[in-house]
Amino acid sequence: MTDQEMERYARQVMRRLERTPLSRRGFMWASAMSATAAFLAACAGGGGGSAAPSTAPSAAPPASGASGEPAPQPSYATEGALFMYNWAEYIDLENIEEFKARYNIGEFTYDIYDSNEALLTKLDGGATGLYDIAAPTAEFVKVMVDKGYIVELPFDRIPNAKLVNPTFQNFYSGDDAKYNNYHIPKDWGTTGIAIRKKVVTEDVKTWKQFFEVAPKYSGRIVMVESAGDVMTAPLKALGYSLNSTDPTELNAARELLKGIAPHVLALDSNDYGDKLASEEAVMGLVWTGGVVSLRDEPATADIEYIVPEDGTLYWMDTWVQMAEAPHPEAGLAFLNFIQEPAIQAKETETNRYATANDAAKALVKPEILNDPTVFVPEEAFTRLEGAQDVSTDPLRVEIWEEFSSNIGG
Amino acid sequence: MTTAAPAAPLQAREPAPVREGGRLLTAALMLPASLWYLILLVLPIAIVILFSFGDRSPTGGYAGGFTFQNYATIIRSPDPFITSIMLAVLGTLLCLVVGLPLAYFIATRGGNRKALFIILLVIPFWTSFLIRTYAWIVILGPDGIGGFVADATGNRTFRILGTEAGVLIGLVYGYLPLMVFPLYVTLERIDRTLIEASKDLGAGRLASFRQITLPIALPGLITGSILVFIPMMGEYVIPEILGYGRVFTIGNSLVLRFFDARNWPAGSAQAVGLILVMFISVSFYVWFTNRGRRTRDVSVL
Repeated sequence: MTDQEMERYARQVMRRLERTPLSRRGFMWASAMSATAAFLAACAGGGGGSAAPSTAPSAAPPASGASGEPAPQPSYATEGALFMYNWAEYIDLENIEEFKARYNIGEFTYDIYDSNEALLTKLDGGATGLYDIAAPTAEFVKVMVDKGYIVELPFDRIPNAKLVNPTFQNFYSGDDAKYNNYHIPKDWGTTGIAIRKKVVTEDVKTWKQFFEVAPKYSGRIVMVESAGDVMTAPLKALGYSLNSTDPTELNAARELLKGIAPHVLALDSNDYGDKLASEEAVMGLVWTGGVVSLRDEPATADIEYIVPEDGTLYWMDTWVQMAEAPHPEAGLAFLNFIQEPAIQAKETETNRYATANDAAKALVKPEILNDPTVFVPEEAFTRLEGAQDVSTDPLRVEIWEEFSSNIGG
Repeated sequence: MTTAAPAAPLQAREPAPVREGGRLLTAALMLPASLWYLILLVLPIAIVILFSFGDRSPTGGYAGGFTFQNYATIIRSPDPFITSIMLAVLGTLLCLVVGLPLAYFIATRGGNRKALFIILLVIPFWTSFLIRTYAWIVILGPDGIGGFVADATGNRTFRILGTEAGVLIGLVYGYLPLMVFPLYVTLERIDRTLIEASKDLGAGRLASFRQITLPIALPGLITGSILVFIPMMGEYVIPEILGYGRVFTIGNSLVLRFFDARNWPAGSAQAVGLILVMFISVSFYVWFTNRGRRTRDVSVL
């Protein structure tokens, strides 16, 4: 059909449309047609999109990856797909591409949760057969094992796991030591204070000061949406353990939280970096990652991350494999792949979270290695306390609910 | 064609006799719909009601038991319900204020372009709800209108996102088509000669509108309001995204209970409370608007 004919045809259709009165039937038909069209378009788009990767070069042999890994790679009968359940933007995209190419993975699905509680709820609701690997924070591994959601890892098939620092691998001690067989450390970091020095001129070096300064910047404070992290602040400000379940201590912390709640802008685990960058928020209770990369941009170079002097939480994220993983081999291949020193070093450089892998640490760029925000120096380590899973303590749950429902006044 | 039997009066008519096989056929035809309702509506609600009387297991989730504690908690803290109802009522009213003139315009002044207007309304409606809501973050946020007003007035703490106003804007935008379509359909069916007649009898334009058009459009109004009010009551996405979680609605509270606290019984109790509130308010609304009418028009679409 020539352009002219097309135009004439289109004009005919428009004229026909304009002339007919729109009855209910006509409207229904129009809606149905547009819905079908949209549905077909989405189907075709989705189908076409996922069809393309599977025609990627299958000739790439597994051993061709020259990433400097000396140890012989075990072979994995990968199933051609991997379903990952992870925090947002937590893996370097180039590493994903490298993994896909090396192990012939056609479909790499990356679903997101924004809190450990959300991950657990999804699993409680029956999502175990949906995903291959996930990345819970270390203290949640215990409850996931007890509920049968994750499997013991075959460390003989994951040789790169030996490169991880034993302090991190042996997160659980004493009677709980058996849980160390179920996870491989991913990275670790702290929860601390972030401030825009351009706006906040006061010293905010401790949690105590954080609570004192907060009313001055009412409505411009952002916090991560995590009960364990947020409750660290008042408990440490009062000098208690952040894992406390003692009612007196918790109620004292509750008062501090009630005081700050009206001044909080939002509880946001995903976009707190954006809010701090746009100055919608000028103070925050945050994790390191979202903030550190802002320091490099000239517009937000005044952002400062502080590890509070009265103590704070150090968290560790871990890789685990789901019990009913649809692609277990691909999962194991990924767990081994991600611990390769060069790959792991790249991860640290991209998302600025400290790696637990010693061999990788040696490859990380010096300016990141010496950054006290990312790799907390030894002397500051004494101020850090590891988290335990106290998320089910009824009083803590109640305080968290009360706080969440009262932010913003 | 002449009938042997006398013509039956209009009000009462014998139902057509159904043969035995016909009754079986009727049952068979209704089976899929009945199964669908039973499995996907009645059963889940029964499960939720069952859970609402239970205890929370120590690791989160549902453990058996029978207790009224969950309902006691709701009665003690009704704030989320009140916020939701307020938002839903205001949102419905705003939808009405914006939607009625729009529907009236398309129905009466649309002329040849009616189809075009309807298509313009339908296409955004079929776009992803989430994407449209996220778009409002850019429009209302510090890079958009919110930031503009903040700079213009010098008030650094001015904000549209994170307030009820932001949530209302998102709600009205999201549900406006649901209000416009039923209104449009009824308004379009109005017999123009009635309005002509009322004008001939001396009624002004406002009086004609109030006494002729509005009562005839009432069914569409009811349908539109219900279609808009019910989803607004249970909204979670818009208060969370545009309200930053500060506008604390039932939806936010449910997510808090289920995801953060992993307290399924408490969340279920709240869900049952929400269902009851909607049930009562919609029944009251339908009764209120239908009293004194000889025929009950409930559905239009």
